[in-house]
Amino acid sequence: MVLKINNITKNFGGISALTDVSFSIKEGEIYGLIGPNGAGKTTMFNMITNMFPPTSGEITFLDEKITGFKPHKITNKGICRTFQNIRLFSQMTVLENVLVGGHTRSKSGVFSGVLRTKGQRAEEERLRVTAKEILELVGLSEFEDAIAENLAYGQQRRLEIARALASDPKLLLLDEPAAGMNDTETADLYHLIKKVQERGITTLLIEHDMPLVMRLCDRITVLNFGKKLAEGTPEEIQNNQAVIEAYLGSEGDDESA
Amino acid sequence: MLGDFLNPYYLQVASFIMINIILGLSIYVTLSSGQLSLGNAGFMGIGAYTSALLTINYDMPIVVSVIAGAIVAGLVGILIGIPSLRLTGVYLAIATLGFGEVIRVFMINWESLTKGAVGLSGIPQIGRELLKVSRDAGFNPLDIGLKNNQYVYLLVLIILVIINILLIWFLVRQNKSRVGRAFAAIKMDEKAAEAMGVNITYYKVLSFVQGAVISGFAGALFAHVMGYISPADFSYHRAVEILIFAVFGGSEVIWGSIFGATFMTLMPEVLRFISEYRYMIYGAILILMMAFRPQGIIDVPLLQKLQLSKRRGKHGSKN
Repeated sequence: MVLKINNITKNFGGISALTDVSFSIKEGEIYGLIGPNGAGKTTMFNMITNMFPPTSGEITFLDEKITGFKPHKITNKGICRTFQNIRLFSQMTVLENVLVGGHTRSKSGVFSGVLRTKGQRAEEERLRVTAKEILELVGLSEFEDAIAENLAYGQQRRLEIARALASDPKLLLLDEPAAGMNDTETADLYHLIKKVQERGITTLLIEHDMPLVMRLCDRITVLNFGKKLAEGTPEEIQNNQAVIEAYLGSEGDDESA
Repeated sequence: MLGDFLNPYYLQVASFIMINIILGLSIYVTLSSGQLSLGNAGFMGIGAYTSALLTINYDMPIVVSVIAGAIVAGLVGILIGIPSLRLTGVYLAIATLGFGEVIRVFMINWESLTKGAVGLSGIPQIGRELLKVSRDAGFNPLDIGLKNNQYVYLLVLIILVIINILLIWFLVRQNKSRVGRAFAAIKMDEKAAEAMGVNITYYKVLSFVQGAVISGFAGALFAHVMGYISPADFSYHRAVEILIFAVFGGSEVIWGSIFGATFMTLMPEVLRFISEYRYMIYGAILILMMAFRPQGIIDVPLLQKLQLSKRRGKHGSKN
């Protein structure tokens, strides 16, 4: 198992954002995390990367307990995420964004950086080659010198994925990567996530685009009001009565999926 | 003759510009990781007093004592930085401003060491020491047509220019390295930087301490150029002055604070007759800048425009 979520509970004040949620992800899988708005999906990402600590429960990554680690250390271990509301380094160029992604895979400090030692130059060169290769993968090569905030919305989403890939993760967390994308962009995204899978990277995906989720994911967990509602293959989830009710509302009064 | 061109007064003003540029760089380096520290006047004071006392009481060579002053300022920077960097934005600014005042009050009240509000006088001066050295070596400034004070001020200015070139070189190279990218990432989006594996505490403390070391260094040089320091040199006014270098010149690029320091040092000298109203003018400039050009005079688009027109100029001359 790459990631094991064991009985995670998170309370914000008196409100319970997650209650006793458990699931685990196998190596190489594309795992879906779905549920209506406010179900606690992004909170789960924040638990995994420890941006907020869980109230109780434990998360293990490659059989190592990572609960309580600082977020940068978790990235160093091999988990990297994207954000639902895009958080690029907006005034940097596209290439620089990806170079920052490679921060944990490089180690030069103040003096080697200033004196440009042989090792530092080799490291910069290696980072650049990797960054360009990743930009090629996500299809942003021609924009490498553009300022990130000037990119189109769909391109910014892909740049977030590129930046995360630069940290050479074993587990990639994608928070609604298809949000705001048109059909062509979503199709490109599908192929991109598949290509990421071919590189042996495990993916945990939060997404509202159901056709995309059903085509991509090997297994899915459904959250509703912070609780796990169901877990299974896309087919099982599609036929699960509780899930259909949560999404469509038992009397058709809820938001449709 | 060379001696006819060198006005000691201009040389001295140029030296003050150089010291103020160092101070401008000290606030720039901390700002480059997105933190506003107003404690640099305090760190400057620590550097100045440390270096002055080491030379007066222990006859230490100036080169050693200046470096010691910068190091002591940096150590205090670590002590102050680690707890106060939990604060951000205006809270950090106020905490560091308070730190500066605490340092000043220490200088006033620790009379046995600092001579209190009277200040320290008779600090060995870089220029005079160098004059002594060259005399001992059998060199007389008159041989190249310079009066003693011209020679002294010229040497000091040359040393300060060299220091500034080295410092700017250091910071420009750091900006283009992994450390500089980490600073910029934290400045633009702290959470995202953390998610990308940047140890934000480490890099914030690093940029804060670099600011402290550089201002301590500037303070030590100030002490050995002036020969006299008092707590009033490192007061709240100095903190605001340093802030204005960055705010007026531009805090996003290194050339901003360099320009700011140069301009704000020259202005009161050029407009001698209104120098009484300097702080009023500073205030007015701050208000106008915030209203019309919050990023400062020099920003990235302006630099790009300058580079473009330079390129175009070259192209034009070829044809």
